[in-house]
Amino acid sequence: MLALALATAGCAADTSAPARAAAGFHAAVAAHREEAACAMLTRKTADKLPDPGQGCADALRELRLGAGGGLVSVSLWGDDAQVRLAGDTLFLHRFSDGWRVRAAGCRPMGDLPYECEVED
Amino acid sequence: MRWLKENALALAFLVMFLLAVGGQAVAGLLQFNDTQLAEGGEPISFFRYVASSSFAVDVAENWQSEYLQFFLFIMLTVWLVQKGSPESKRPGREGAESDEEQQIGRHAEAGSPAWARVGGLRLWLFSNSLGLVMGGVFVLSWLAQSVAGQAAYNSERLGDLRDPVSWWSYVTSAEFWNRSLQNWQSELLAVLSMVALSIYLRQRGSPESKPVGAPHSATGVEG
Repeated sequence: MLALALATAGCAADTSAPARAAAGFHAAVAAHREEAACAMLTRKTADKLPDPGQGCADALRELRLGAGGGLVSVSLWGDDAQVRLAGDTLFLHRFSDGWRVRAAGCRPMGDLPYECEVED
Repeated sequence: MRWLKENALALAFLVMFLLAVGGQAVAGLLQFNDTQLAEGGEPISFFRYVASSSFAVDVAENWQSEYLQFFLFIMLTVWLVQKGSPESKRPGREGAESDEEQQIGRHAEAGSPAWARVGGLRLWLFSNSLGLVMGGVFVLSWLAQSVAGQAAYNSERLGDLRDPVSWWSYVTSAEFWNRSLQNWQSELLAVLSMVALSIYLRQRGSPESKPVGAPHSATGVEG
């Protein structure tokens, strides 16, 4: 049981994949490839982002997210991850086709949920 | 056939345990996937679920409380008695009892286990082996609950866009103690019920009960 618990606790988890996904999202935003950045969001987040009659890419462009910056840390628990970059904190979820961004442009609010420019 | 009959009690509980834990895995998977879909995630396979922290914490939190229950029952009944209960020794026999009563050392009998005949560490270990194993499994299960629980809790927190917490923060959190105490209270109530109700109630033929005609005041008598 303890071995199972340790195995499931993510002790040897690969944190590079969510880090790459977070960096890729910010790289796409910085390069004004908003369509590509929208494709890296979870479906729920991409659906919620635009106002009525607006597309995801236009909504993302309007937000003018700041630069992501270098990788600071990654916390990975189960199928969820938090990636801290120098200029942003992102939350990601693992799907069968890879990691997708659930929330970006996030500011900490103490122990309360982060306030994010992009979230589901 | 004779072997089956002589081991029927353990086998019956083993089969019921396997059916129950299998049922828990299936029901837990369905509930987990229902939540995943509601939150925009994807359903996971049976094998991924039984290897997940979510399943591990649910199993471990129940295991630790069961082993704690039996550990406490085994240890407290050495020193504490309950007049009229078949689960208790007779008043006046509190404590570890004499070597003669425990059939150890030179009082060992022909069929006594080998470590009951010797002295020193081996005799001490064998004399306390039941409590040590029950207590040991309790500690390991509780530790497993804390490790798997932290993983499951942090996954939930990340899903809520909150920071994950350290192991120490988790084991001092309301979540961890709520999971632990809600199991402990039910186990302690069950033992209390068994000790107290067996004073006045009977189950004919069960060794956990006094004989039907035994007086309510009779202690340590099993049917």
